[in-house]
Amino acid sequence: MKLEILNALDGASILKELGANAKKSTAASALAKIKVPHKKSEKYRYFDIEPLVSKDWTVFHPESQEVQSKGKKIVFQDGILANRGDIEGVSVELGDFSDIDGAHFDGLYYLSHLLAKKTVIIRCSKDASFEIEHNFSQSNVLINYRVAIFVDANTHCQIYESFKGEAEGSFVLGGYDIFAARDASLKFIKSHTLEASGYTPVWSSRYKVDSNAFFKLSSFDFAKSNGLNIFKAELKEGANFDASHLLYGTNKAKCGIVSEIEHEGKSSVSSQNAKSILDNGARGIFDALIRVQNSAKWTKAHQNSKAVLLEKGAYMASKPQLEIYIDDLEASHGSTTGQLDEQALFYMRSRGIKEEDAKKMLILAFAHEVVATVDDEYLANKIYAEFERVYYGYYELDCLKTCENCQDTTTGL
Amino acid sequence: MSKVLEIKNLKAKIGDKEILKGLNLNLEEGKVHAIMGPNGAGKSTLSKAIVGHYDVEVTDGEIIYKGKNIVDEEPEERALEGIFLSFQNPVEIPGVNNAYFLRTAVNARRKHLGLPELNAAEFLREMRAKVEELGMKKELINRSLNEGFSGGEKKRNEILQMMMLQPDVVILDEIDSGLDIDALRAVSEGINKSKDGKRSFLVITHYSRILDYIKPDYIHVLKDGKIVKTAGPELVAQLEKEGYGSFEEN
Repeated sequence: MKLEILNALDGASILKELGANAKKSTAASALAKIKVPHKKSEKYRYFDIEPLVSKDWTVFHPESQEVQSKGKKIVFQDGILANRGDIEGVSVELGDFSDIDGAHFDGLYYLSHLLAKKTVIIRCSKDASFEIEHNFSQSNVLINYRVAIFVDANTHCQIYESFKGEAEGSFVLGGYDIFAARDASLKFIKSHTLEASGYTPVWSSRYKVDSNAFFKLSSFDFAKSNGLNIFKAELKEGANFDASHLLYGTNKAKCGIVSEIEHEGKSSVSSQNAKSILDNGARGIFDALIRVQNSAKWTKAHQNSKAVLLEKGAYMASKPQLEIYIDDLEASHGSTTGQLDEQALFYMRSRGIKEEDAKKMLILAFAHEVVATVDDEYLANKIYAEFERVYYGYYELDCLKTCENCQDTTTGL
Repeated sequence: MSKVLEIKNLKAKIGDKEILKGLNLNLEEGKVHAIMGPNGAGKSTLSKAIVGHYDVEVTDGEIIYKGKNIVDEEPEERALEGIFLSFQNPVEIPGVNNAYFLRTAVNARRKHLGLPELNAAEFLREMRAKVEELGMKKELINRSLNEGFSGGEKKRNEILQMMMLQPDVVILDEIDSGLDIDALRAVSEGINKSKDGKRSFLVITHYSRILDYIKPDYIHVLKDGKIVKTAGPELVAQLEKEGYGSFEEN
């Protein structure tokens, strides 16, 4: 199936072509209007979408498989729910999902919903901390799936998202619809390493943050091949959305974030900070819009992108944008792209540290600021170690605080 | 007395401006040399030229260290061989842990000297003793390198690095700038304790106050890119009395 053929069809024909449920007619109409993205689509300008939408894909439809219920981890295998976990206060079911965003900016958000026969619906009705693991093994196929997460009112959750497998040549299309109900809090931590010969993921999501709810998104993308994260966040009165992104791109990968944050309610707060480290011809993408509606007075909205280019072939497409329809607010945005601090580099070399090692230390320091936004020390260490593994090519445990040999002696300092 | 560092006819520029104009200077092993001079004379440029700073382009002359011209050597090679510069304005490096940085530097030098690297416990033990000696706040060790440090804390941190790295030639660039009297005393004590009869010091200063604490063996007057006078410590009194105006090239 070639995804681009859908651009010639109207909503009804799209539904028919994809064999989608008639309840998804809104999504089909929206897709007919905004189209499957192509190389001239503004939001995909810096990403190689054309090969993904023009290829004749075999859509992966596996035989139904048994779903396990054990451990503190929800597991997907090639987009199929393999383990719903056994997590107190968290239910995981396959179902029909009808609350599709009627005004998303991304065609792949709708396409993904239309392709998904069922949605995995996770509901958190009690405070919980768990992991969602995605495994991929199928090569050269289109894998599509959708996950909806509901965090009930006044419930506090932490979700760690991890990825395994390479699935060479596959296109992984999917995403989340996340609803944080009033007074809820959700910490969503995503750590994704894309190997050179793996699949290409495009995640297209929608986050709805209700009154006085708090949603903290920390994303860590270490990419040796292409991948894109797209999301739209809607903030109601008093909602707080705090997003931090760390991107390391190498090996000519084109990767990054395309986002829109909508301030709809009064006194809503958003903060979006992206740090990108780009090497070996990689292209980083930070195309992020914050829109403050006229209903959202007393909003606070801050956005910043910092990128370090480690060599001449690396490139950062940074496009922070504010669109404001009200006067009474506090807002800022900024973007810097440059090389490593020459003074800092020299200082380290003047102490006998080789230039290459000094650069690595500065890069790790640059990354550390984003990793430090993860409150969970175990996860922060795990992510930092993964970054070191990808960046250095190996991970050398050399931590003054946790080394068994030195633990006793550090306590006095 | 053997010379550890010989600078011969050194000419250097920053951008298009020639700052050092044929400077000659010998540093003797185990001695304290002070370089004094007016603003813009080239004092900091000299220190940068010795350590290989990227701002400074050496256009002529030689810097002979332990018998070898190091003009074309990388900064880290000079450091590993035992040249240490205490910076006038140490740079702040967010995210780089102070102790981790110093341990990396110490072990790089030890490896270069053929000594076994210090494990974390050995390193911390040694560093803790030096931190106490210098009267440094212990928490500074686990903070990012120089980030948010006061002027005095930065200078103490420089001296801590010097004490841990055990260099052979120490260049102190305006070590007294921005220090209150207590910090000046602590920093000076750290430097004086590091004198071992073999280590040489080059104290670069605009004011003579630091020389009350670190007693020099030689005073050199640097003016307009050249050393115009070399004498014993008695020269300080003459400088205080007459200023730099009376000194012309020898």
